[in-house]
Amino acid sequence: MRLYVLHKTHYSYPSPVRNSCNELRLSPLSNDWQKCITCFVSVFPTTKTRQYLDLNGNLVHYFEIPEDHSHLTIESRSTTTTSKRVDFGNFPYGVPMRSLKEVESSPEARPYLQSSHFVDITPEIWRQAVEIQGDSKDVFQTAYQIMEFVYLNYEYCVSTTSVDTHVSEVLKKRKGVCQDFAHAVIALCRCLGIPARYVSGYFYDSSRDQIMRGGGASHAWVEVLVNGHGWFGLDPTNNRVVDETYVLIGSGRDYRDVAPVTGNYFGKLPDKMEVSVNVRRID
Amino acid sequence: MAQNLHTVDAVAINRFKDYSNTGFFDEMFGTGFVAQDHYQQINSRLSQIGDSELETKQQQVASSFLEHGVTFTVYGETEGTERIFPFDLIPRIIPSDEWHEIEQGLVQRIIALNLFLNDIYKDSKIIKDGVIPREVVESSPHYRAEMVGFNVPKDIYIHICGSDLIRDEKGRYLVLEDNARCPSGVSYLLENREIMKKAFPRTYREMSVCPVEAYPDLLLKTLEYLSPRNSGKPVCVLLTPGVYNSAYFEHTYLARQMGIEIVEGKDLITIEDFLFMRTTHGLVQVDVIYRRLDDNFLDPSFFKNDSLLGVSGLMNCYLKGNVSLANGIGTGVADDKVTYAYVPEMIRYYLAQEPILEQVPTYLCWREDDRKFVLENLQDLVIKPANESGGYGMLIGSSSSRKEREEFSDRIKKSPRDYIAQPIVSLSRHPTFCDGSIEGRHVDLRPFVLYGDDIEIVPGGLTRVALQKDSLVVNSSQGGGSKDTWVLKG
Repeated sequence: MRLYVLHKTHYSYPSPVRNSCNELRLSPLSNDWQKCITCFVSVFPTTKTRQYLDLNGNLVHYFEIPEDHSHLTIESRSTTTTSKRVDFGNFPYGVPMRSLKEVESSPEARPYLQSSHFVDITPEIWRQAVEIQGDSKDVFQTAYQIMEFVYLNYEYCVSTTSVDTHVSEVLKKRKGVCQDFAHAVIALCRCLGIPARYVSGYFYDSSRDQIMRGGGASHAWVEVLVNGHGWFGLDPTNNRVVDETYVLIGSGRDYRDVAPVTGNYFGKLPDKMEVSVNVRRID
Repeated sequence: MAQNLHTVDAVAINRFKDYSNTGFFDEMFGTGFVAQDHYQQINSRLSQIGDSELETKQQQVASSFLEHGVTFTVYGETEGTERIFPFDLIPRIIPSDEWHEIEQGLVQRIIALNLFLNDIYKDSKIIKDGVIPREVVESSPHYRAEMVGFNVPKDIYIHICGSDLIRDEKGRYLVLEDNARCPSGVSYLLENREIMKKAFPRTYREMSVCPVEAYPDLLLKTLEYLSPRNSGKPVCVLLTPGVYNSAYFEHTYLARQMGIEIVEGKDLITIEDFLFMRTTHGLVQVDVIYRRLDDNFLDPSFFKNDSLLGVSGLMNCYLKGNVSLANGIGTGVADDKVTYAYVPEMIRYYLAQEPILEQVPTYLCWREDDRKFVLENLQDLVIKPANESGGYGMLIGSSSSRKEREEFSDRIKKSPRDYIAQPIVSLSRHPTFCDGSIEGRHVDLRPFVLYGDDIEIVPGGLTRVALQKDSLVVNSSQGGGSKDTWVLKG
């Protein structure tokens, strides 16, 4: 599938700001099942941009605007081809929960089993996770149940949480957006020893009435490591196993590692922020 | 000699028996003797049609153009100025992979050019960082100091761009130039398609060609996106210099296709920095002008001239943000041929990546070393004025006389900033009907890029063909014709 994404972010500040330094994570990755053909990131006011890979292997665009400015617009246009990622008739069942001990200390899994900035591992969360697990002894089965639990019991609602909402609050309120749903699943999985990472990206809504949640903005979901089978994507916002309609930008321990736009500047907070994401299938 | 490997049955005619593609990249045969896969169908169709049927088709096509009034005007000749744009029946075919690559390259290029224009009329960071010399930018005749500090609507200067692509002897696509002011030719692209669909209905359908008919809608959407008014349907107009302009046919054609008014300067009036159009039911406020008029002629009171083509007070409306212009003012710096030499650097600077499409190496005569080289090698180079369009005023070294070279040599020495030089690229050739037989003729490709809410390119573009034998100049004003361009679906 060939997917084109136009992602625009616009900030207006109440008075001019300066010394703005920003990192953008807006460029899709290339891996075994997706290939980023091109990605053009443009910034207004115009400035020189640089690219580098961060610790998690995600592509970062970096720029500085020292001059006074009262608007900032960031546009990313990417074309990505994706190929079949999962076999829906053949999920990786059969890996027992007890085998998780074996991967615990591997470098691939370790970072995704610890607490991170937005995600805690606490006895309360563990108790909840055990309850959801029930008598499942299978890694994928358990992760799937957790995704389903969050999808069914959490309310999708746009304005109750912010980008800084910690998972403990999400688990209490059971409300939020894709970012919060993803954090909740990550916390629940990690408590049971299932390595879970946060993924940022986009999806193409192929449903007839565009009923999927989280379109029109950048999306987030979770990947869990099923030993011997690799990472599998689970989208708790839409209760789906991630397939070729998803475009992955990058992954990390939680939102903080892959926030699309992060930075700092001198000046007041923006009084307006507009984000639009448009995903088009072009083949 | 190219040979047709198509199985020749009793009635089939081998139209390529005497065809030669030696020394050039041929669109149909590449550098070999067998028609490339994407040309197989057209090849076999050509061998099925008899000579008389072919001639009938050719005549039908010619009369269609006449009926539709598809013409252009030639300057600098005394005979009748309006001419039919010659059309060749054999379509140029581009496979989908190849097109995707071109498309990505063009998108990258227009983004970089637009960032460049926003930059030079604001903080000039690319100049301060030493990537492009200030003199290059500010000495361009199309640089508009008046635009410095102005916020163009939606940060877009170039809404419509026509970049010319050529292919070298290896078949590599190269950007030859960018037309960022008022590129023309898109009406021929649309008309050519209409006519080809009638001339080869079955082949067209069977080959699953990407449609181009959406262009007028996309153009209108691009214009409407610029509207300064948030409510109601924006009023867009097309501003033409009038019937004597070489592209007047195109102006009327596009206005009609978009369903907007075509106006001349005298149809517009400004009142307290708002722009109005006179209509039979009174004045109507105008939001967006698709102007097919150069900067200099837009507003006589602003650009200080005695031209009657523009509208007095228009620039004030524009600078106050009450009316939008497509393209913006001052875009000519971006298609200055000296600026062209720096486009790869712009892409690296703003986008932190390498150019997808290559371009022709360019010697800038204002650089001393370059000038010395150019003057010593005139016969091996093409000398182009930095700011002319339409193929006027250039010298192709290999086919020039000594006297012409001396003349250019003087001109270059006198005003080096006004000239650039490039190696002579042997443009690719395409089978073309010439007096009853098929011969290779040089072609280029001008795709049209639209930059509004998103960047859109209708698949393909206008393929121009130099009809005179061995001529490298494809411009319509220099005796060029055109072909339909078929981008195949992937």
